Amino acid sequence: MNQKSIYKILALIMVASFILTACGSSQPSAEKVITIAWTQEPNTLNRSYSSMWYMAVLTDIYSCWPWVFNQDNEPQPSLLTDLPTVSSDGLVITMKLRDDIVWSDGEPITSVDFVFTHEMITSPNNTVDSTYPHDKITISAPDAQTVVMTFDEPFVSWMTSTWLGTLMPKHILQPVFDSEGTIDNAAWNMAPTVGCGPFNFTSWESGSTMRFDKNPNYWGPEAKLDAVVFQFVPDDAAQTAACLAGDADICFWPPYEDIPAFRDAGLNVMTEPSGYTEGWFFNFRDMASPGIKDVNVRKAIAMGLNREANADLRLGVVPVTETFWDAIPTYVDPSIVPYQYDPEAAKALLEANGYVDTDNDGIREDKDGNPLRITQGNTDKTERQSYQALAQQQMKEIGIDLVTYSYNSDILFGSFSDGGPAAVGDLDIMQWSDVPYFPDPDTSYWLCSDIPSDENPYGYNYFGCDETLDALFQQQIVEIDPDARQKIFWEITKYMHDNVLYLGIWDDGDVWIVNPLLTGVKFSGVNPFFNIMEWDKTE
Amino acid sequence: MARYIVRRLLQAIPLLFIISILIFVLLQSSGDPLASMGGKRLTRPEDRARLTRIMGLDQPIYMQYIYWLFGNTWVQIDVDNDGTPDMYGQRKGIFRGDFGDSLVNRGQPALDIILERLPNTLLLMIPAEIIILFFSLVIGIYSSLRQYSLTDQIITAGSFIGYSMPIFFVALASMYIFAVNFRKWGLPYLPTVGMFDPKIGKTFSQVAMHMVLPIVSMSLVSISGYSRFVRSQMLEVISQDYIRTAYAKGLSERMVLMGHALKNAAIPFVTLVGIDIPFLLGGAVVTETIFGWPGMGRLFIDHLNRFDTPVVMGILMLISLAVVIFQLITDIVYSWLDPRIRYT
Repeated sequence: MNQKSIYKILALIMVASFILTACGSSQPSAEKVITIAWTQEPNTLNRSYSSMWYMAVLTDIYSCWPWVFNQDNEPQPSLLTDLPTVSSDGLVITMKLRDDIVWSDGEPITSVDFVFTHEMITSPNNTVDSTYPHDKITISAPDAQTVVMTFDEPFVSWMTSTWLGTLMPKHILQPVFDSEGTIDNAAWNMAPTVGCGPFNFTSWESGSTMRFDKNPNYWGPEAKLDAVVFQFVPDDAAQTAACLAGDADICFWPPYEDIPAFRDAGLNVMTEPSGYTEGWFFNFRDMASPGIKDVNVRKAIAMGLNREANADLRLGVVPVTETFWDAIPTYVDPSIVPYQYDPEAAKALLEANGYVDTDNDGIREDKDGNPLRITQGNTDKTERQSYQALAQQQMKEIGIDLVTYSYNSDILFGSFSDGGPAAVGDLDIMQWSDVPYFPDPDTSYWLCSDIPSDENPYGYNYFGCDETLDALFQQQIVEIDPDARQKIFWEITKYMHDNVLYLGIWDDGDVWIVNPLLTGVKFSGVNPFFNIMEWDKTE
Repeated sequence: MARYIVRRLLQAIPLLFIISILIFVLLQSSGDPLASMGGKRLTRPEDRARLTRIMGLDQPIYMQYIYWLFGNTWVQIDVDNDGTPDMYGQRKGIFRGDFGDSLVNRGQPALDIILERLPNTLLLMIPAEIIILFFSLVIGIYSSLRQYSLTDQIITAGSFIGYSMPIFFVALASMYIFAVNFRKWGLPYLPTVGMFDPKIGKTFSQVAMHMVLPIVSMSLVSISGYSRFVRSQMLEVISQDYIRTAYAKGLSERMVLMGHALKNAAIPFVTLVGIDIPFLLGGAVVTETIFGWPGMGRLFIDHLNRFDTPVVMGILMLISLAVVIFQLITDIVYSWLDPRIRYT
C-alpha cells in the first residue's frame, strides 16, 4: 500500500465524517421536549416493586399521590378534596377522593383502586419490595369516594409512608392477578401505559431512554411541555458533559467540583433539602473496640473532625450537619450546641481520660497499653473514599489511628449470617447518607429489636441497644399530640448528640442543574417533580 | 474434520458445566442483592427476610444452583414464615430454557433483558472490530514495509501514545473536545451521550452520529496495539526465504505481500482476533458506561454491582459459549491459512 492510498483513505474518512455530521444535525421537532440526564436506570415502574430513589421520584410524572409535598415539603391534597382526617385516637384515617379524577384511559379513579393496591402490596403472591406500612393497616371503601385506613395502634408517620406513588389501576391489573395469581410479571409494571399523572408513559428502551408524553386526560392542570425524556447516563463526568453541551436540560447530583463549570456555562444550580444527611454512625455494641465505647473518645472524635473544611471542599453547596434530623430542624433540640473543630480540646479530653502516647509513635494508648485504633467503613463511593483520607489525617493529629475500609454497598450491608461487616460489628464507625421518613422524623434504626443476630440476621440496628433511646423511639411513633412528639424528638436528638451516637457530616440534599430556558421549575425534597405540569421551555 | 468438530463440541459440555459452577459460587458468595436493593435506604429486616424466602436465597448454594439448572416448580415456599406453604416456586431452570428472573428487574426474565441489549452491543462492537482489524492491518503492513522510515517512526510514536492512554481518558477527552468544546467554538460537533437525541428520535443518522465517539475511542487503543503486532509479524515473514523466492519468480509486490507474506503473518493475529470476537458479546464496559450506550457491558456491570445472579450468569454463560465456538472456528481458520495443519 503506497502513501497515495493512505491519503485516499484518510480523505474518505474525512468526507464521511462531514456527511455524518451534516446528516446528524437534523432539526428537532417543534414539540416542547425536555431531556433529563438520569444516572441510574429504574428497575421497574411499579413503585411497590422498587426501593430505588431514581425510580420512586418518577411517579410524580406518570402516577398520582393522594397528597404531594410541595417545595416547602408541606403536604398538599392532590387526589383528595382535602388532607385526610384523623380520628381523635389516631387510629382511623379517612380520605375523601375528588370526583373528577381519572386514569389516563378515562376510567375513574375510585376507592376500589386504593383497596386493590393495598391487597396487591400485602398479597404473599407478590414479591413487592416492602409491605410496610400496609402490614399495619386495615383498609375499607365505604363508597367510591371514601377510603378508610385503620391502624391497631397509632402510627403517626402514615403520611410519609403510605401511598407514595404506589396506586395501581384495578381495571388493568386485577385480570392479570386473577389469571396468573401474581402481578409480578404484569406488563404494566414495566410499561404503565395507563397512569394518572400529568404525563403518560410512552416508551422505555433499556439502558437508553424512557419517554413520557403529555396526558390529554389528566384531571389536574394541563402540562405545558409535550414530553419528558429521561436519558440514562451512568457516568458522572458524562452527565456533566451532557448538561454543558446542552444535550440534557436537567442533571441531578453532579460531582460538586463540576458546579463552577455549570455556573460559568450559565446553567442554574438549584439545591433542595431532601432529608438525607451524610453522617457517622457509632457502634457501641459489645464487639466494638473499647475506645469507641468510651463517650469521651467519641466526643474527641467529634471535636477532632474538621467538618467545615470538608464543606468548603463542596463549594458551600452543602452545609455541615450535626444530627440525623437537621433537615427537619423543628424536631432538633434548639439547645444543642454543635461540636466545633478544636483539636487541642480533643487532645486534652483524651489526655484527661488516660489516652496517652506512651511509645511516641503518634498514636495514643489506653490505660492498658492498647493503641487507640478505630475502624471506619463506608461504601465505595468516590467522595466517601476522599473523605476517609481527610478524616484519617485529622484523627491522626489528635492521636487516633483511624483504619478505613470501603465496600460495595451490598457487601457492607450484608446480613449477619453472611458476615456483613456492619451487621457483625466489624466497624466502629459506619458512614453513609440516610434519612428518616422525611419530612416525618420517624426512624427505626436504633431500636433494640433490630440488633442483628443469628435469630435476627437481617436486623439493621448496627449501632447498639440503648434502652433509654429505644423507649423514646417507641414512644414517639404512637404519640399523636404533635407538640408532645416534638418534645420527644428534642430529647432523642439531645441524648444522641450528648452521647455522640451519631455525628452529621454534611447535608446530602438534592442538587439539580437546570437549563435556564426552562421556566416554572421547582423541586421538592419528597416529590421532586411535584409541579412538572407547570414547567415550560422557552426558545 | 467433522469428527474433530463433534469431539470439540462434546468436550465443551463439561467445560461449560464447570464454568457455570465456578461463576455461580463466586457470585453467590459475593454480596446480598437484598441489602439495599439499589435504594438509598437499607431494606427493612422483615422485607428482607420475606424476599429472601420467596427468591430462594435462604437455601444453601448447592440448592440454589440446582434451582438454576432445573428450576424450583416442585418446591413449596412459605412466604410469610408461618409454617404453611403459600406458593410453588416459579422457576423452570436453564434446561427448560429459563435463565431465571432478574433479582433487580423483578419479574423480568434474565434472558429477555440480555437479548434486548445484545443488538445494541453488536451494533457498536462489530463496526468497531472491523475498523480495528482494517486499520491495524493497513498501518501494521505499511509500517513494516517502511521500517525505520520517518512515517514508521511517527506511527510507532503514535502507537505508543495511543496504547498507553486508558480508554476512559480517551473517551472523556474526545467527548469534551468534539462534543462540548466544538459546540462552544461554533464548529460541527458530535453528541455527548446516548444512542440518539431524544428530541429528534432514533433515526439512522442519529444512531450513526452517536456511534462515532465510542467507536473512535475503542478503536484508537486497540489499533495502537494490534498494528504493532502485525508489523512485527510481517517483518519476521518478509525476511523469510520463501518471500525472496516469490519475488524471484517475478510475482508482483501485491501478490507476494497479500498471497504469501500476509497469509503467513496472519496466523498469530487470527489467534488474537479469535480470542477477541467472543468478547464482543460482552460489550465494552467502560466505553458503554461513559457514552451511555445501552449495551451488554453496561448491563453486566450494573447487574454485577447489584449481585443479580440470573442476569450475570446469563451474560457470562453466553460469553463462555461464544469463546468455545470461536476457538473452534479459529482452529478451522488455521487449517485454511496453513494447509500443513490437519485435524483428525
